[in-house]
Amino acid sequence: MRFRKITALLMAAAMTASLAACGSGSGNATTEPAAEETKTQEAADDGVKEEEAAETADASGEKIKMTVSVWDNASSPQFQSMADAFMEKHPEVEVELIDTQADEYDNKLTVMLAGGDSDPDVIMVKNAETQVTMKDKNQLLELTDYIARDGIDLSLYNGAAEQLQMDGKQYTLPFRQDWYMLFYNKDLFDAAGVEYPSDDMTWDEYEELAKKMTSGEGSEKVYGSHNHTWMALISNWAVQDGQNTLMNEDYSFLKPYYEQALRMQDEGTVQSYANLKTGSIHYTSVFEQQQCAMLPMGSWFVATLIQDKKDGKFDFNWGVTKIPHPEGVPAGATVGAVTPIAINAKTDVPEQAWEFVKFVTSEEGAGILADNSVFPAVSTDSVVEKLSSMENFPEDGKTALEITSFAFDRPLDAKMAPVRKVIEEEHDLIMIGEEDIDTGIANMNERAAEARAE
Amino acid sequence: MNTKTLKSRAIVYGVLTILAVGMVIPFVWMLLASFKTSNEVFSIPMKLLPKVWHRENYQEIWKKIPLLTFFVNTTKLTFITTVVQVLTSCFAAYGFAKVKFKGRDILFVIYVTTIAVPWQVYMVPQFALMGKMHLTNSHLGLILMQAFSAFGVFLMRQFMLGIPGELLEAARIDGLNEYGIFARIALPLVKPGIATLIIFTFVNIWNDFMGPMIYINSTELKTIQLGIRMFISQYGADYALIMAASVCSLIPILIIFMLCQRWFIEGIAAGGVKG
Amino acid sequence: MTSRQKRELKTNLVGYSFVIPNFIGYFIFIFVPVCFSFVLSVMKWDGSDAPMQFVGFQNFVKLASDSTFIISFKNTIWYAVFTVPLTLVASLLIAVMLNSKIKGIVAYRTAFFFPYVASLVAVGAVWNMLFQPEFGPINEILRALGVANPPKWCASTDWAMWVVIIVSVWKYMGYYMVVYLAALQGISHDLYEAAEIDGATGLKKLRYITIPMLTPTTFFVVIMLTIQCFKVFDLIYVMTGGGPGRATNVLVNHIYNAAFVDFKFGYASASALVLFAMVLVITLIQLWGEKKFTDFV
Repeated sequence: MRFRKITALLMAAAMTASLAACGSGSGNATTEPAAEETKTQEAADDGVKEEEAAETADASGEKIKMTVSVWDNASSPQFQSMADAFMEKHPEVEVELIDTQADEYDNKLTVMLAGGDSDPDVIMVKNAETQVTMKDKNQLLELTDYIARDGIDLSLYNGAAEQLQMDGKQYTLPFRQDWYMLFYNKDLFDAAGVEYPSDDMTWDEYEELAKKMTSGEGSEKVYGSHNHTWMALISNWAVQDGQNTLMNEDYSFLKPYYEQALRMQDEGTVQSYANLKTGSIHYTSVFEQQQCAMLPMGSWFVATLIQDKKDGKFDFNWGVTKIPHPEGVPAGATVGAVTPIAINAKTDVPEQAWEFVKFVTSEEGAGILADNSVFPAVSTDSVVEKLSSMENFPEDGKTALEITSFAFDRPLDAKMAPVRKVIEEEHDLIMIGEEDIDTGIANMNERAAEARAE
Repeated sequence: MNTKTLKSRAIVYGVLTILAVGMVIPFVWMLLASFKTSNEVFSIPMKLLPKVWHRENYQEIWKKIPLLTFFVNTTKLTFITTVVQVLTSCFAAYGFAKVKFKGRDILFVIYVTTIAVPWQVYMVPQFALMGKMHLTNSHLGLILMQAFSAFGVFLMRQFMLGIPGELLEAARIDGLNEYGIFARIALPLVKPGIATLIIFTFVNIWNDFMGPMIYINSTELKTIQLGIRMFISQYGADYALIMAASVCSLIPILIIFMLCQRWFIEGIAAGGVKG
Repeated sequence: MTSRQKRELKTNLVGYSFVIPNFIGYFIFIFVPVCFSFVLSVMKWDGSDAPMQFVGFQNFVKLASDSTFIISFKNTIWYAVFTVPLTLVASLLIAVMLNSKIKGIVAYRTAFFFPYVASLVAVGAVWNMLFQPEFGPINEILRALGVANPPKWCASTDWAMWVVIIVSVWKYMGYYMVVYLAALQGISHDLYEAAEIDGATGLKKLRYITIPMLTPTTFFVVIMLTIQCFKVFDLIYVMTGGGPGRATNVLVNHIYNAAFVDFKFGYASASALVLFAMVLVITLIQLWGEKKFTDFV
């Protein structure tokens, strides 16, 4: 009897032991992320402990890990360059980029931040209006005191920093400032014997030119131009004159631009929206595979083209000029956006994160950005000079850098994100021809009003 | 065999073959497209075979995305989740089916209440909770949230209930304790159940898209599903490469499936019968 | 302590030791979130540190007037109404054919079953290309057959849902075919032999023996399929993203967007409870049916 009891106990012990082994076995297999997590968590939840952690980490030769959220890292080399430059200056910090594809970036970012994690420590705000929601959810670290402490001169940004203020406080700093330009394929223009696009074209003239540059059939077809599927590539031209914004109550100001886009699509001078959307086709590959002669796109594309050509991904000459403009608006009027940079309120490395923000938004950081053919928000003379002498930047492209006026593509408004969602759904329906323009705009008006009222 | 049955057999074969070919066409098309150039994929008029077999497509995708990492991650997640799920479920199921202990019925009722609740119903609060526990963006979080389904316990309990009580009683009289009975008698008898649970868990985790999509941010933690998805949106017009990556993502599951086909079939059949 | 009490204590401990490992995980990661979802549905919360706010049934009231929710509810039903019978009929017919002592059954079975285990993203990508409106092979073939204006499939509000339905049937049919195959093997040969003596032909045997004998299985398959259809998300997210416009937006899309795009956790949980109610109705039907069919069989 006694013997049996002991065996039972032993068996039970063995069982628990084997269970524990299972448990730790599965734990071991996941060691990497789990261990990292505890590390960062132990690395403190407040700044004070953080300092100590930093020192111990330093002493033991271990690096402080800091994460930065970015999008389309593969096609946007500037992020890595910035991180590398920063790490060179601050060897104690290891910057890790959290990469998400551009079209899912905002979603993923909100998910990450709501998860309440300290990652990402530094946030690149892809669409400036989303900073309003993030601030409302207390997800952003207020930078006002840091700015005062380190004496940052906000006039560097030509007013962009002030524009990013919310309730009179600074939560973000302008990192990049991008605006729209017209990119074109010089080889295709040469082959067709057509003059390069001028830097003073109206949108109608652009449409004519696109018609002239369309040639070929089937998979060999070269389109005169390329309209990517973003709503911005319609609405931007409608706000270019600065008279309207996407928070207007009536969206009928978009109508002429929808008419033009649909006309170009029907005439086959641009690829159809339906095709691009169902194939989720990236504009980079369309331009680089010489499927279009022109491409209205943001200035961030300069860096992509320079890098890709260097990497041998394509081998033709490209050009860039001012974006076309509406009738009656002077050439050089452009539309664009500021990319703010912010710090996660829950960051475990606030000092390092601030150092990073400070660095990338400084004149020095701007210089590095410019070296990498990215357009920084700081626009001192030296930066502009650097930009216009970028390596492999087309000589005749400098005109694209001279802007006379700058309209924001979307206003910084807390309701912009929900409104944008509904008007983009209607945009989708208009562009595939399921809704005529008037119905689509009427629906936009109605649904945007609902979204605003919420 | 008379002519009539011969004719009907021919029809059956004919219909089956046509349908089977129809089922396989997308995979064949994928395979052929993966050897073309991207322009050739949609050439008009349509050509089925590539002009030149561009085998280098397969080298290129490995340079563009860390496919291997994605495979390792998916395999790891699938393997660990399945093992944890099967082990703990069998354990619990035996307890519920064959050991009479205090509070058993209450505990089991707690399981019963959630059996009909799809994950999509509670994924939001679950995510909020995981966030508070700092388990988002980690494999551990994904494993923990998927390894303890009520379904597993339920299924295994059904199988355990089918074991005749006299068998266990006899073993008890022979001096075997409960753990011994579990390991030596019960487990071998519920092998079909285990197979079923393995198959279900395996397919679910391997093909899970929404879970990793919500939970995983870092590229190095991504699963094959997320990885391919990322590749598609970044190289949208490189059709041939997308197809090559897709083919790569299918090969391991094809091999596993071929090797364990019998298990798959029996597992699903058993699950279907037991409900 | 009497020896009886001791023995009881021991059995209790043994029982707990079996149940506890799973129970702890289950309780924390599933049971608590499930309960939490009921709480959340009457709250307003954005998932941040800010405390949640009790709003009563406001979330549910809002659902009733949210056009996106109504559309996604309708779409879910629409999707289920077509996917369930199509999958059912296809899987049943194929199972019956495969069951007639076919040579090379393994090859056929593999062909029909493989889509079920094939990774969804890859499968979605290839179908998207096949259905590509301008150059896709499907429209290419349709044009060759004389269809002047073939559908624009995923780029058309009328057709996008059909694409999703077709791909769903293709992908999930194999699974139910296996379930049917197992059930078919359980039908006694005597029945068929008796019918043959009475002069019944193939189709008659199918109509009067096979299908009636399969009723419990069919019932089970319908239940499983319906629940699966209510939960659909991945396939739609990969293929159409809920578009064009809101044409393929389904319930889980709505929950996902409300939660992980708009960060209205309370509102999302309220929509999730609608999904739960739908599944619950089906489950109750299942419980009722199981009783009925156990009596019947």
